[in-house]
Amino acid sequence: MYEVRFHGRGGQGAVMAAQALADAAFIEGNYAVAFPFFGAERRGAPVLAFARVDKGKIYEKTQVYEPDYVVVLDDKLPLMVDVTKGLKDTGMAIINTSLKPEEVELGRAVKTATVDATGVALEVLGTPITNSAILGAFAKATGVVSIESIKKGIMDIFGARIGERLAEKNARAAEVAYERTSVGICKGTLIYPEEKKWLPTAQEFPTGGALGLEVKTDAGLIGLGSFVENKTGSWRTFMPVADNSKCVNCKLCWFYCPEGAIEMLMNLPESEIPAGTGTDPKGNPKGIKIDYDYCKGCGICANECPTKAITMER
Amino acid sequence: MSSTKITIHDLPKENLFTGGHTACPGCGAAILVRNAMKVFGKNTVIYTPANCLLVFGGTYPNISWKVPYHHVAFENTAVCSAGIKRALKASGKDDALVVGFAGDGGTADIGMQALSGAAERNEDILYIMYDNEAYMNTGIQRSGSTPYGAWTTTTPAGKVIKGKERFKKDVPQIMIAHNVPYVATASIAYPTDLLTKLEKAKNMKGFRYLQVYSTCPTGWRVPPEKTVEVAKKAVETGMWTLYEYENGKMTINVKPKLDENGNLAVPVRDYLKMQGRFRHMTDAQIETLQKWVNEKWKRDLALEKALQ
Repeated sequence: MYEVRFHGRGGQGAVMAAQALADAAFIEGNYAVAFPFFGAERRGAPVLAFARVDKGKIYEKTQVYEPDYVVVLDDKLPLMVDVTKGLKDTGMAIINTSLKPEEVELGRAVKTATVDATGVALEVLGTPITNSAILGAFAKATGVVSIESIKKGIMDIFGARIGERLAEKNARAAEVAYERTSVGICKGTLIYPEEKKWLPTAQEFPTGGALGLEVKTDAGLIGLGSFVENKTGSWRTFMPVADNSKCVNCKLCWFYCPEGAIEMLMNLPESEIPAGTGTDPKGNPKGIKIDYDYCKGCGICANECPTKAITMER
Repeated sequence: MSSTKITIHDLPKENLFTGGHTACPGCGAAILVRNAMKVFGKNTVIYTPANCLLVFGGTYPNISWKVPYHHVAFENTAVCSAGIKRALKASGKDDALVVGFAGDGGTADIGMQALSGAAERNEDILYIMYDNEAYMNTGIQRSGSTPYGAWTTTTPAGKVIKGKERFKKDVPQIMIAHNVPYVATASIAYPTDLLTKLEKAKNMKGFRYLQVYSTCPTGWRVPPEKTVEVAKKAVETGMWTLYEYENGKMTINVKPKLDENGNLAVPVRDYLKMQGRFRHMTDAQIETLQKWVNEKWKRDLALEKALQ
């Protein structure tokens, strides 16, 4: 038996990848199951999916805690989550990154396969959805399933969801990624901060009580306004870059940013306004400052900017 | 009728709905809520039932809201808001604004009886429905507010049916029928109109209902950067009409472009083709929807004329 844990973000298709892998393993005469981690996760938030493959019937119904392989669909995820947690010593991490295996930093030095799945996806599919490409890398790196079966699995699972034509493109993405996969040993130098939890007991939490405004605890801020500690900037694939010389201070991007990650320079103290900033007819400094800690890269600002002062860059 | 317009330039700097929330990239509801809180200010109490906003705005113990915020059961946003407003009034804090923020499922379907009751009693609350036209939080199931022809997981596009077979429920008209002081429709794509309505609703007394068209890029199968563009197109094609009903008078605030015969000039197809949820629609279905939109527009015009 081998067990696989997929680390992805909501919307990247980790669940479909797990299903396609299970389908591919089934085609090769194995028993296989695939299932997601159930939680209230939005598009962009870290998610998990699992696959389990065996020659005989599979009776385990639990999540995978000690995987043989971990598949990481997003190169920024290892910075947030210890993807090697529970990974068997004989196991392998398959990571979407443009780095070589030897350059990758994880929590432990493990056998690592890398492929620039985002690059492949943009090239073949035109969107940064990496679930098919990473399966090609999985086939190449592990050898436990053939690339032909992976392509069939993708045709089955993706075909049913997004149609045959797009499924074919995804199978092609897997094939391209298969060719571009390299294997080595990663660096085990990444240190994760100890997970902190704030769990009041029922006795500690007064009846009719409420969490206050920005309450400081050992586990960081809690209560009203405390979500600022959740830096959503890591969700981004494309980042907006502003050319402030073109800005007309219309404030549309400032209004439309769902995250509130855009601030008008005119709202900032003088010390934070870069030298050489122009002024609008009213004499206000013109331009914006983007807070990349929160920007999810949706691109509304670039799309709505009337002077095209904002562009989206990889 | 007061004509003070509130524009983007009147908004304060401080966010009372902070970044770090976990909405999908390009979320229309997040745009609405963040800016609405700038209009409402600190002296506000928020109620939300189960919806996306509840989940992305706060995962215990972390919360994006910087004002008192409560999570209530799916069906009783309106009644809980009304209760707290009465309690605040009794304790001498009548100046506090109580706002119920619910999605279209929590309003048009599940929250309807509590909403109707609170409206009939003319409770002093502001109820805002952010309309993303399906139960998005649980993974895109149809609601009463889902438009005709739209794909959802419970109105699939297949051989037997092709998307939703019923038309969108007209909740603002249901609310007008309750004879409340203020009912308005708005859209995230029309900031001045939206902010003016929020400001007006904030300062009125009695039951106020606002329905704000908020794109859901995930559920509508729209690229996130198109969120505002799609919402704009909805108004231009007449799929969504921006009007307000204030003390018995109805005014259409933004009139879509009309041809020389007085019909809607921009075909509804232009709106549909931007979205994956309508991709499967046949010409006959689009025709049916266009007919419905034309009739709805004529009805809105007639109502505006009648309610003067």
